[in-house]
Amino acid sequence: MTQPAAFTAEVFQNQYLPAGGQIVDAVVTVTASGSGLSAGGEAPSAAEVIMVDCSGSMADPATKMSEAKKACAVAIDTLRDGVAFAVVAGRHDARMVYPPSATLAVANPLTRGAAKDAVTRLTASGGTAIGQWLSLANTLFAGHPAEVKHAIMLTDGRNQHETPDQLAATLRNCEGRFTCDSRGVGADWVATELRQVASTLLGTADGLEDPAELPAAFQAMTQQAMGKAVAEAALRVWTPAGSSIRFVKQVFPQVEDLTGRRVDVSPRIGEYPTGSWGAESRDYHVSVEVPAGGVGEELLAARVSLVANGQPLAQSLVLATWTDDTALSTKINQRVAHYTGQAELASVIQEGLAARDAGDVPTATAKLGRAVQLAEESGHSDTAKLLAKVVDVIDAPSGTVRLKPKVAGVDAELANVRSVKTIRVKKTEEGS
Amino acid sequence: MATCPKGHESTASDYCDECGAPIGGAAASPAGSAVAAPATPAGEAAPAASGRSGEPCPECGTPRAGRFCEVCGHDFLAEAGTPATAPPSGEAGPPAGTGTPAGEGGAPTGTSTGSGWRVVVTADRAYYDRMRAAADPGAEDVPFPAYCPERRFGLRPPQVLIGRQSRSRGIEPDIDLTGPPADPAVSHSHAILVAQPDGGWAVVDLGSANGTYVNDGATAIEENTPVPLAAGDRIHLGAWSTLTLRAD
Repeated sequence: MTQPAAFTAEVFQNQYLPAGGQIVDAVVTVTASGSGLSAGGEAPSAAEVIMVDCSGSMADPATKMSEAKKACAVAIDTLRDGVAFAVVAGRHDARMVYPPSATLAVANPLTRGAAKDAVTRLTASGGTAIGQWLSLANTLFAGHPAEVKHAIMLTDGRNQHETPDQLAATLRNCEGRFTCDSRGVGADWVATELRQVASTLLGTADGLEDPAELPAAFQAMTQQAMGKAVAEAALRVWTPAGSSIRFVKQVFPQVEDLTGRRVDVSPRIGEYPTGSWGAESRDYHVSVEVPAGGVGEELLAARVSLVANGQPLAQSLVLATWTDDTALSTKINQRVAHYTGQAELASVIQEGLAARDAGDVPTATAKLGRAVQLAEESGHSDTAKLLAKVVDVIDAPSGTVRLKPKVAGVDAELANVRSVKTIRVKKTEEGS
Repeated sequence: MATCPKGHESTASDYCDECGAPIGGAAASPAGSAVAAPATPAGEAAPAASGRSGEPCPECGTPRAGRFCEVCGHDFLAEAGTPATAPPSGEAGPPAGTGTPAGEGGAPTGTSTGSGWRVVVTADRAYYDRMRAAADPGAEDVPFPAYCPERRFGLRPPQVLIGRQSRSRGIEPDIDLTGPPADPAVSHSHAILVAQPDGGWAVVDLGSANGTYVNDGATAIEENTPVPLAAGDRIHLGAWSTLTLRAD
């Protein structure tokens, strides 16, 4: 009944290198499954902080505030008994909604009722300073023994009552203390801010086109937090002497460059934080430069494992074999190629939109044209749809597009915030 | 503990912990590729020195991982002075073919060769006082020697080991500071002097316990990193030994 979480790691790569080849690319798929993950038998203890934007703009239209209240209530109802929680109202400062003092309450029918009651009395007035909200959440989590610490942040506007530096400094303080999913609602939120929060705090970022989607989104985020079976895991990468790591990226479900987050364990081993794990599957793209070997030689280019509390949960081997058979060495692994494209897709969308905002039409057209082409090639229809709201697609396969003269602000932000979302290769299309 | 074809010890039994080479034909190898095992297990696994890794070995091209080349044993520190045909130096120590070990310390062994460079070893009161002032409060008290004759040593390229003789470890330094008087703070293999291509010399600390200082420097020189010297420069090591470089 209480089976431990089962993790598997699978490698997708072309291990054959031409003579003199030095670069080894591989996609490692880590999947967590098993009954221990779903039946909350030994689920780790959890704490949840919900941050709701209560700035003045939330009242315009009024559905934003009313749906946000509903969403909070749904999230509170989704909390397991015994989970520590708090609700924070975010304006130009951060105030406790429930419990009244700056601590975490323990979820039970009584506290849940009281919390929902407090949420109904929320009013919209004031400004937006996301860093302040996160600071309060950080204070609430600090010193609490819960293993999984998760926060939800909802905003409808630009982070205008503090400087980007203040937000960045707060995020640095919070990094590694808790995970946070960020959501934007309405038409005025800024994709880069949401992605900055989610990326630093190992969560997801998204925008909601309609406030009515809020309750479902809050429920999904809370459920996921409750379903975490492993509180803190890291991707451990061993590489041989004389080699160097070119990059380590998470490439599914969203693109996240982890290269700079390496924590050295030993000169050969580094760990990259991945946050908490429920029943889910993530893909990592690891690229290593190794010293060239002679034809016929084999080398272990990387040993990739997921570790929690120093215990390896799953491990996989990335190999390199030098061959003079060009039929073998020129093949590109489908999955590696696919994710290389997806990562490029994410960056050309972001660069294209930034160029568009800066008024650089030729660059924006070129970048977004390439994005349309990549989305078409990989069958990423969600992204293709979002892009079609920003550009007029003339010919998708060749990437010929024209910038739309008038674009609703939220469409560009949606395309930006979702640019990092990737899709997997269809199993049937996959070669070796 | 498994040993890989290149001579590294490895805790993992499938692929080497150090270099990633398959061990024992690596049963796990899916390709079943024939492993072209390198013929010669390299002499010794160089201690992972803090040297810059990655630069290719001038002899065989293997990327550098420490002081010695993993494959051919080339000494990166002595590279400038080593003639290309020289056999790979064996132990971390004196070059092959050292002359007779310096006899009982004290006797000048000034068999100065053609190189024209020598060092003069003296007991240095100023350095001694500085080291005592900086020492940990609990450190063992080393007395300053009452009498210490000047000792002279000729420098013979490509390199000269400075240290204290150890019979059990087979260390026979070219510049043997065993004494009397004994400077107990000198490591057995303390530092080497390496001939430079321009005809000068450089000093390299070999990871000594108490460090090596140059010209009254307040901080010890970085280990395994050559520091070029000119005539008249002084090397301080141990509790009171100072070596002055002379070009005659």
